[in-house]
Amino acid sequence: MDHKINPAFFVACQQCDALYDKPQLKQGQIAKCNHCGSTLIERKVDSIERSFHWSLAGLMLMLPAILLPLMGITLAGQFHQASLFDCILVLIDRGFFMIACLVFLFAIAVPIVRLAGALYISYCFKFNKLKPSLLNFFRAYHHLDNWAMLNVFMLGIVVSMYKLIDDTELSINLGLFAFVFWLICSTMSAAALDQDYIWDKLERAFPRNCANEHS
Amino acid sequence: MNTAKSNGLSLCPKCHKLNSLQAEPQQCSRCHGMFYQRKRNSLQYTLAWNVAALLAFIPANLYPIMIVYQFGIPSEANILSGIGEFIDLGLYPIAIIIFTASIIVPLIKIIGLFVLVYKAHTGIRLKPNRHSKIYHILEFLGPWSMLDVFVVALMVTVVELGFITSVAAGPAINYFTITVIFTMFAANSFDPRLLWDKAADKNTAKQAHLPSANLPDTLPATLPEEKG
Repeated sequence: MDHKINPAFFVACQQCDALYDKPQLKQGQIAKCNHCGSTLIERKVDSIERSFHWSLAGLMLMLPAILLPLMGITLAGQFHQASLFDCILVLIDRGFFMIACLVFLFAIAVPIVRLAGALYISYCFKFNKLKPSLLNFFRAYHHLDNWAMLNVFMLGIVVSMYKLIDDTELSINLGLFAFVFWLICSTMSAAALDQDYIWDKLERAFPRNCANEHS
Repeated sequence: MNTAKSNGLSLCPKCHKLNSLQAEPQQCSRCHGMFYQRKRNSLQYTLAWNVAALLAFIPANLYPIMIVYQFGIPSEANILSGIGEFIDLGLYPIAIIIFTASIIVPLIKIIGLFVLVYKAHTGIRLKPNRHSKIYHILEFLGPWSMLDVFVVALMVTVVELGFITSVAAGPAINYFTITVIFTMFAANSFDPRLLWDKAADKNTAKQAHLPSANLPDTLPATLPEEKG
């Protein structure tokens, strides 16, 4: 292990640690690991533009999706409807703090932070306002990768509709449509963001911040 | 196989930049995060989270998850009886979805991670290619078992007609969320590269034709990356 290799010219597979020469990819190309078949590097098409627009749309849909009622029920002449925000208030009111916290985190807070983060990063790239602080910002952004559960919540809505549909009169409200579009926007903005490209670009823009070691 | 580890390099888990490993923990030259070559004590952590998740899964199935009040009379339902209700009503697709999300997925995750830890530790019949795929599937499945929690949360909120009907969440819901979150932590703390390391070690041990007395000494030494 005494021979020095310049790590800048290599990539390693995240899954199996196999080492490869760094490929130069064009937009839309994917480099796969020969060994385990997982993706090494991916250059996404129009990544910055796409994630900018998707996350902007997502942030605009955020308020109606949270505040408008998702669905309502009618039973024995009484009507009641609830939004995502009501959901949390009612849960706190009834003393289920843990579920209230988790629903707030996974279905509201994390998606919003992720959308806002994607918007901020793609905004900085789109208008060429790169700052060194973006390095830290983007690193923090990665911590949230696994924890947005809008899709699961959507399935939860569908299942609870099935539960309610046979002994109550169920009505679907505008909030549900907003929520579906919000889900689509947040998924698309996360999928469109090209992390390798952003890291590469940041590294090239701030060589001084990234040069702890150049052997 | 030419790996980053054998060349003294290491991949930053956050920004995926290759760094030459000079110290452990190594600071990433790009994102300045600290990291280890392999996740630290990965198997132990995975095992611990897994056992905790399994323990929490027992009360999650025994206690009622949802309590429906109709005209003031409570009727309790736990996860399995909730599924039974759907089957009685003939709503098979929904019953299957809930059964998959709330029973099969957590169990498969817990059992699967036990198996992976076992394989990565002992290397018995280890096929890193297939097992790392299994790990991927387990990681993907993680959040979907939150389904039941969200359903109960929605039911509590929407069905609130005072005396006529209302729904309350039972104590099982807390245990169930704990199970789901712990299995997610367990999956996060597992490092699939250990599977490949182990397979490579086994190959070299085979090729070198080591005397069998030496073999047990070399095997455990590879497991946790240099401590301290």
